[in-house]
Amino acid sequence: MIKKITRLFIISVTILATYFAMKVCGFQPTALQKGLHDSLFFIKQMFPPSWEDFKDLWNPALETIALAILGTFLGSILSFIIAIFAASNLSNKWVKQMVRSLISIERSIPELFILLILIAAYGLGALSAVIALMIGCIGMLGKLFADAIEETPSSVIESLQAGGANKIQIIYFGILPDVFPKLLSYSLFRLEINIRLSVMLGAIGAGGIGYELDYSFSMLQFHRALSCLIVVLLLVIIIEQISIYIRKKLSIQQL
Amino acid sequence: MLSLINKYKKWLYTLVVLLTLYLLIVFLKIDLTILFSDLHYVGDLLKEMFPPNYAIIWENNVVINSIVQTICMAYLGTLIGGIIGFGFSTIASNNIFNNKFISVFTKWLLSFIRVIPSLIIVLIFVIAVGPGPFAGVLTIIISTIGTLGKLFTESIENLDPTSANSLKATGANKLQIFKFAIWPEFLPSFISNLLYCFDINMRTAVALGIFGGGGIGYKLYLSMRVLHYKDAIALITCIIVLLLIIENVSNNLRHQILGNK
Repeated sequence: MIKKITRLFIISVTILATYFAMKVCGFQPTALQKGLHDSLFFIKQMFPPSWEDFKDLWNPALETIALAILGTFLGSILSFIIAIFAASNLSNKWVKQMVRSLISIERSIPELFILLILIAAYGLGALSAVIALMIGCIGMLGKLFADAIEETPSSVIESLQAGGANKIQIIYFGILPDVFPKLLSYSLFRLEINIRLSVMLGAIGAGGIGYELDYSFSMLQFHRALSCLIVVLLLVIIIEQISIYIRKKLSIQQL
Repeated sequence: MLSLINKYKKWLYTLVVLLTLYLLIVFLKIDLTILFSDLHYVGDLLKEMFPPNYAIIWENNVVINSIVQTICMAYLGTLIGGIIGFGFSTIASNNIFNNKFISVFTKWLLSFIRVIPSLIIVLIFVIAVGPGPFAGVLTIIISTIGTLGKLFTESIENLDPTSANSLKATGANKLQIFKFAIWPEFLPSFISNLLYCFDINMRTAVALGIFGGGGIGYKLYLSMRVLHYKDAIALITCIIVLLLIIENVSNNLRHQILGNK
């Protein structure tokens, strides 16, 4: 009986919340139908892609990839350094708590806003985008790396300590060889995310294929926009497949 | 000899990595000296940002309303996307629908949806239906279908088949098997996946604001554009607190639901 009442209560709250949310967002079933219809019509209008624009898009596409790779690489190194302070077996309790909460705070700042702040300081360009991607890595990789470091068997650290190794030696000879495959596979996973982010940051003004995409949409050159769209999809798919292939080779499939 | 190669292998890798890094920096025309020569701009910026103008949150209803709008976008997107994604996953999972061709095709479709960056989807919807929360909701629905469609398919395929088989043996039809064997077992993972996706969609909803999706993200973008950095920092604090609360609530609920099972 109580179970039934709870269920009824949950269902009615869900319905009420949905009704409220629909009102706030201006979301009506009729609008949904019209919206989908208009969108399909618009996508049809975008065809065919303009083939001659593809050769202009080669360079922006490379720029986007370069941004993502550079950002992920530097971000992984930065995250590893931070993760050392967030791992319970290498750092003390208070530092660990503080660094961990900083990491989770970073996770809730969208990369776009980091970029907007950086643009205000360093101006538009690749530098701001790379730093934004670097910082964006910390939230995810910092936590994953710290967890990976914590899984290192304590015997490794203890035996090095007994041999008189200092902290840096412990990290270099004990921790790093043990966690390296994991670090690599997490970083590759992050690269898949960063390639999308790098397209998105490009649209804000960091350059690359994202900028071309946004520019074509706002200049109403829809055929060119479709070409950009195809290039973006190809980029994402290719990077994802490469990353999945390498991660399979590293034989760490979790995550 | 072999140990010699192995010894130098490490250096070789390091050299290749460093060279690639250098080439990437040259290719992107990054001037690293800016980092230090323009450092005083960062100082100026920080001076302009602090102290944050927290009064903006209470001044009028605009900020509160836009926060509510963002939550509503994520909520609606998750709910509708989840329902549609569930529909897809029943077709895609090979233990409910015994058609190999349709199952493979649906799985392919779902992974195609997942590949499309949400930026592209929102740009298309903003032009088709106009900027505002409606375009944001539509974008979130599409990306949720991709994510949840996959997660649901996996959890349906991993269900224990014994109860379904025993119902089949008593002569139950497909709908009855679904209602009495599959649904009760699937429900906890259904709700926990929805909660997980809501957490992700909140982040997406904030970010979509910049491209015309409405909500708190748009307000933040506006205050950045007109260089009101004190307001911007206040709004960023709001966003961080909001996302942290949602993350914790979603995690707690999920642990409870999966733990009670």
